[in-house]
Amino acid sequence: MSAGSVLAEGVPDAGDAAPRPVATGADPRWQAAGRLALPTSELREVARMLRRQVVQLVRRHGQGYVQQGLGAAELFASLYFHEATIDPADPRWSRRDRCILSTAHNSALFHAALALRGMIPEADLAGYVVDGSALEINVSERLGPVVEGTFGSLGQGVSAAAGMALASRLSGEDWRVNVILGDGELEEGQVWEAAMFAGSQKLGNLCVILDLNWMQVEGHTDQVLKLAPIADKWRAFGWQAIEVDGHDLDALVAAFGLARANRAQPTILIATTVPGKGVRALEGVISHNAKLPADLADAALAELEAPHA
Amino acid sequence: MRDATLFPSVQADAVVVDDFTQGGAHAVAPAAGASAASPAAVPRYYGETLLALARERGHIVALSADLSSSTETDLFRDALPERFINAGIAEANMVGVAGGLARSGMQAWVHTFCVFATRRPYDQVAMQVAYPKADVKIVGFLPGLATILGVSHQAIDDVALMRALPNMTVIEPAGPAQVPAAVRAAADHKGPVYLRLLRASQALPAGTPWMPVRIGEIQPLEAAEGEVLLIASGLMVEVALAAAARLRAQGLGVAVANAHTLKPFDDDFVRAQARQRRLIVTLENHSVIGGLGSAVAEAMAEAGGGARLLRLGVRDRFAQGASMPWLFERHGLTPPAVAEAVGRALAAGDAR
Repeated sequence: MSAGSVLAEGVPDAGDAAPRPVATGADPRWQAAGRLALPTSELREVARMLRRQVVQLVRRHGQGYVQQGLGAAELFASLYFHEATIDPADPRWSRRDRCILSTAHNSALFHAALALRGMIPEADLAGYVVDGSALEINVSERLGPVVEGTFGSLGQGVSAAAGMALASRLSGEDWRVNVILGDGELEEGQVWEAAMFAGSQKLGNLCVILDLNWMQVEGHTDQVLKLAPIADKWRAFGWQAIEVDGHDLDALVAAFGLARANRAQPTILIATTVPGKGVRALEGVISHNAKLPADLADAALAELEAPHA
Repeated sequence: MRDATLFPSVQADAVVVDDFTQGGAHAVAPAAGASAASPAAVPRYYGETLLALARERGHIVALSADLSSSTETDLFRDALPERFINAGIAEANMVGVAGGLARSGMQAWVHTFCVFATRRPYDQVAMQVAYPKADVKIVGFLPGLATILGVSHQAIDDVALMRALPNMTVIEPAGPAQVPAAVRAAADHKGPVYLRLLRASQALPAGTPWMPVRIGEIQPLEAAEGEVLLIASGLMVEVALAAAARLRAQGLGVAVANAHTLKPFDDDFVRAQARQRRLIVTLENHSVIGGLGSAVAEAMAEAGGGARLLRLGVRDRFAQGASMPWLFERHGLTPPAVAEAVGRALAAGDAR
């Protein structure tokens, strides 16, 4: 994929194997093929870089979901840079682990993670939410084969993931399917259809990462529909449910390990996250469509400058 | 084909089978002790063709929303259980799962009634099948008024819904003799297909020729010269043929064509015919809004001039649970009613 491809109308040509520039500040090893299994110390640095990129992307055009992006940085870091087996040079490699973004609006973070992992050129990020660009605010597969599906319509990701997990099993292959699901999506009935289905089918190669930030468009989820108890619901559908602090990288890595080890049940990692995490002025602010004024963005970038201790 | 295959009279000594999918309420079984052939002897043209294809092609998988027998996929289930998935009464998830399977190299065939394959999971069909051009075949049974099960089960808008989706191909074979070709055409077409099917209520008479399908082409059946062309889809093809015979007996020149592909639509055929005919009549077991009648109207209007158009079908209203002959009578879709409507339309055209 060439840098100019983001401005193309159609789906970029997957066959174009132009060399991919390494993202600014990225360790070249982070763009290697395979399962990276980075140590926690490096994942922490990945998460910090993802947060910086989220702020930069949202700042540039004033569009994008900053609270969700900051909140889920560790989820993306642990998924793409520890857990999932991917070949950035061959996004259609049939044995890859699938990573599905059911929360398609969390696109600033998604695109940042793809660039850092070497799946899209960092230069393409300039096209984020620009008219005509393939880097849309709701991720779609116009971006190319690095996107496993189009899920801007909430609630559909787990079903597609279950189909893929079933295909992996039917083919006698061992690739896994991971889905990042939003807690607001739990209000969609289809999620529970999919939960029942995957539980019945005992899809041990399926792992849902629930981004539990208690936030939806109208405010705190409890003010809209009561989601709790979440773990018990999934367990009742036959899933292994693991509750983790979504900012604790050691806990996330361990939870992915438990998911992998359980071949008889699908797993949900119920990862509690704080919207706006990492930027003091934004931390814990429940605002689905939060705007990021330039001065606040600059302060956030300064705050995210120094590597974590 | 004869009227009788569509509208068989209910035998006095028969009981209605507890399966409403074989031509509405007209799937009849002999009462205890009777010697007539059991309905199990009716060939399952769809299910047998799909199974044969799946034996040839290892990437075919079938999903059913708890309607395996009614969609003839019990044959697939019993023969190839490892590639059959009962997704339960959960159509939105079934369509999403099918999309995921298709993205991973499978050809996924989903099965339920037409209403539950279209109206209910419409967003899922749009986003997980049509948009990514996934190799998913959505197979719906109980088209239009062909069921006693009532308004909840009568698909009068499914063709309209599926036609409106980019990348979707819509096929409705004319009858059992065209089902095998339609299934194979759908399998050979890489990408989304909506297949609208009616189960046969009786076996085809021996020697009935199989009808071919070429996706995107309207098929002339009785290509007579004359002022009237009947274009029909699905079970209305048989009604059109019977109505044409009546009209010819009155001295009219009437041709009949089968629009087995509702999308992509054969606009060229319609435009060419519109230049030669006085009246074009569409016949569909569906609302006159958004289906065959609309497709023909769109083609004719864009071409400009030529023949007048009469759209026969369900006139923008919901139906009700009742026997198929009663419903078709009520909605003016029997051969005599069609012939009468054509006569009226010609007279009205003369009066203009």
